[in-house]
Amino acid sequence: MDTTYVLDIYLPIIFAVFLVSFTLYIIRIVKGPSVVDMALAVDCLAFDLAVFIGLLTLYFRTPFLIIGAIALALWAYILDIYIAKYFVRKEVGE
Amino acid sequence: MLEVVEWIVFIIGLILVTIGAICDLAGALGLVRFPNFFVRLHAATVGTIGGAVIPLFGVALISAVSSQLGPFRWAVAGGAIIAAFLIMIIAPAGSHALAYAAHKAKIVPVEPKVCDLLEEHEKRKAKEAEKK
Repeated sequence: MDTTYVLDIYLPIIFAVFLVSFTLYIIRIVKGPSVVDMALAVDCLAFDLAVFIGLLTLYFRTPFLIIGAIALALWAYILDIYIAKYFVRKEVGE
Repeated sequence: MLEVVEWIVFIIGLILVTIGAICDLAGALGLVRFPNFFVRLHAATVGTIGGAVIPLFGVALISAVSSQLGPFRWAVAGGAIIAAFLIMIIAPAGSHALAYAAHKAKIVPVEPKVCDLLEEHEKRKAKEAEKK
């Protein structure tokens, strides 16, 4: 089933909504009063970028883009764990 | 018959992507507007589970019936499902670790507070350590 003509009309609307929420997340990253706020916003931004890559895969009809989504999800988790570990024990590693 | 089933799967996928976009916008608005960190955690969870896991399942459903991707469409569907499950496991664990660290290091005040059992537990533990 060829779904190109539906996706070509519908996906740009979804892209617009996602770009608006990216902007709001970036506002929180820049403004963020504490480091944990910034880390939380970066977390949300990375997960949303993973979704955005999945939608771009459908839009450009290129299957190789989806590999980046998995790496982005894991990267955000590593950032969270490192920041939490630093604040609890005041050291990273071990 | 097969065509009808494919259309139904496709429309379900589009609905999931739309729900994801709306949840994501709501989560981003909450992250900007809410007053402090522990309240913002709620908005962040809406933005990750509602705004990232659900649309990735939608992407998997859409790509499974889109023949323009060729034989690679199963690779796209599998990658999207793996990413969705990873985010579903990882996002609550990460935000829980951040909340625990923020509470333990006292970086942000616990503002709308009714009762804080974790703080009381730590105080009791410190008192017992003093006695010894």
